[in-house]
Amino acid sequence: MAFKGSPNARHFTNVNTRTKDHESQNTSLRPGIIMYRRPPCAILRGYGAILALYLLMHIPDGVLSTPVWAALDAAAVGVVAFSTRRAERDFGSANHARIPLLGMMGAFVFAAQMINFPLGAGTSGHLVGGALLMVVLGPWAASVVMTAILILQALILQDGGILALGANICNMAMLGVLAAYVPYRVLGRGRTRGPGLFLAGFCSVAVSAAAAMTELSLSHFHFSRSLWITSAILFGITGAIEGAITVAAVSAIERVNPALAPDNASPKPRFAGFVLLGLALVLAIVLAIGVAVASSAPDALQAALAGRMALSPTVSSGEAPIGRRVVAGMGGMLLVFASSVIAGRLWTRRRPV
Amino acid sequence: MSFLFPAMESSPLALPLTQIDARAKLAGLMVYLIAVATTPARGSGKAFVGYALVLFVPLAASRLPVAMILLRAAAVIPFCASFALLTWWSAGAALALVIIEKSFLSALAAVMVMAGTPLPEMARALRWFKMPAMLVLVLQFLYRYLWVTAGQARRMQMAARSRAGLGWRSGFRSAAGSLGVLFARSSERAEGIHHAMLSRGFTGTFPALVPSRFTTKDAAFLAVLLALILAAALAARF
Repeated sequence: MAFKGSPNARHFTNVNTRTKDHESQNTSLRPGIIMYRRPPCAILRGYGAILALYLLMHIPDGVLSTPVWAALDAAAVGVVAFSTRRAERDFGSANHARIPLLGMMGAFVFAAQMINFPLGAGTSGHLVGGALLMVVLGPWAASVVMTAILILQALILQDGGILALGANICNMAMLGVLAAYVPYRVLGRGRTRGPGLFLAGFCSVAVSAAAAMTELSLSHFHFSRSLWITSAILFGITGAIEGAITVAAVSAIERVNPALAPDNASPKPRFAGFVLLGLALVLAIVLAIGVAVASSAPDALQAALAGRMALSPTVSSGEAPIGRRVVAGMGGMLLVFASSVIAGRLWTRRRPV
Repeated sequence: MSFLFPAMESSPLALPLTQIDARAKLAGLMVYLIAVATTPARGSGKAFVGYALVLFVPLAASRLPVAMILLRAAAVIPFCASFALLTWWSAGAALALVIIEKSFLSALAAVMVMAGTPLPEMARALRWFKMPAMLVLVLQFLYRYLWVTAGQARRMQMAARSRAGLGWRSGFRSAAGSLGVLFARSSERAEGIHHAMLSRGFTGTFPALVPSRFTTKDAAFLAVLLALILAAALAARF
């Protein structure tokens, strides 16, 4: 085995320099520093793969228009108050014996996002975690933990804005967890457990992303129908990745800790609550699709291309077959991805870590 | 951008800021963010200079490394740049610049407040502003366990790498397996920490090391801050 020149050689040198600070927890175990030390090539590759989704899931301040963020902040206050009260019913506020479990799950999801799942062709994805939390903790507690994660990310990592926190909470802690709950409740036992888990992960990411896209188009961004379809395909791919990771993660966790596996004897949920949740989910999807169809104006990119580069009039007038435009959109996404991979390669060549 | 930058934590270098009550800082931050977010795009240049000055005065007064803080706040720019690009194409460069300025100033304000406020104090301030007790408690436990769990993840990553494993080559299943192991170990550690806390008399609330008092100094800070923000906001409108 020749270590010199192989990508792993760097890691070996890093290991030697880093072994000292394993023991002292107070100073060295800062996740930021860990993330800082990841090789930039890996960062850029991973970043390219999840760029579009990440952009949508952690909306920064200054992007949403005032009515949108204000309304969503108000909604989030109500939703968080409600879900906290319901979670208190399950996890108890009196003796706090089970509250640390929630904190632990939150920290676990935070840290689990550092573990990369190889997806082939040099790309990798990581867990988002909404569905996993929902499976382990149930919907209300999962919503509370996800809210805590988002607040912490906004405060100490500046992932997502503070005023946009309402939007991010609605997307990921509310709609994302809700969307994971419905398929998991229907399919999550017995023989259909695998597909149920997959669908839970899929729906949670796809619905969060669709909701974020809806909020952006309710603000001053106008997405054309073709851009919407392109994004929908992208969300589908990312959702499938999250679904696969959720299945793998839940089965691995249950193998390690069999107490967490569901017992098939537990009672079915009450009908009314279930219908309410289903209705809310359908409402969210309909809203997303409605906005998608409503904004059929040519999007900014096409307008700019038509105006500045004088492309063929079929593209600028929006009459090109939708399939071709979708392919063009996917091509654009691939281009972004390829350029980030190449930039990552160049970066590591110039500045070995 | 959490991949590229270390987490923002309180630092003794932010000295004048650390001595102000967290509630005053949080209230000031919220007002500042709302003022920045609601600035009309037309004639916003003057206002943004004003808003930037509001932040640069305490930044210059503290001993925080200015370049590092600015870089830390600039981490949001790649996020909002794609939205800004869309706006540029449809509505012109001026509006795109407004989006970037808003995002950057908001992030800078958040970075500075977090540089001057330990998270436990911030959690207490959040509780004072009526955030549900359970959510605050989960937030504090999450923060308490975060470094431990992340350190665990890092050690596992490093161990796997030194076996020339985990990374792009190893399989999906081994990554899932390490997630399961991470779960088991971090829940074990978390349980241990909780027991240690209980045996030291933890009663369900994180005790304050320093009792927080809202003094005239904090009120004066808030009043000056609000006056500056108001001045900058008026500069945009007239």
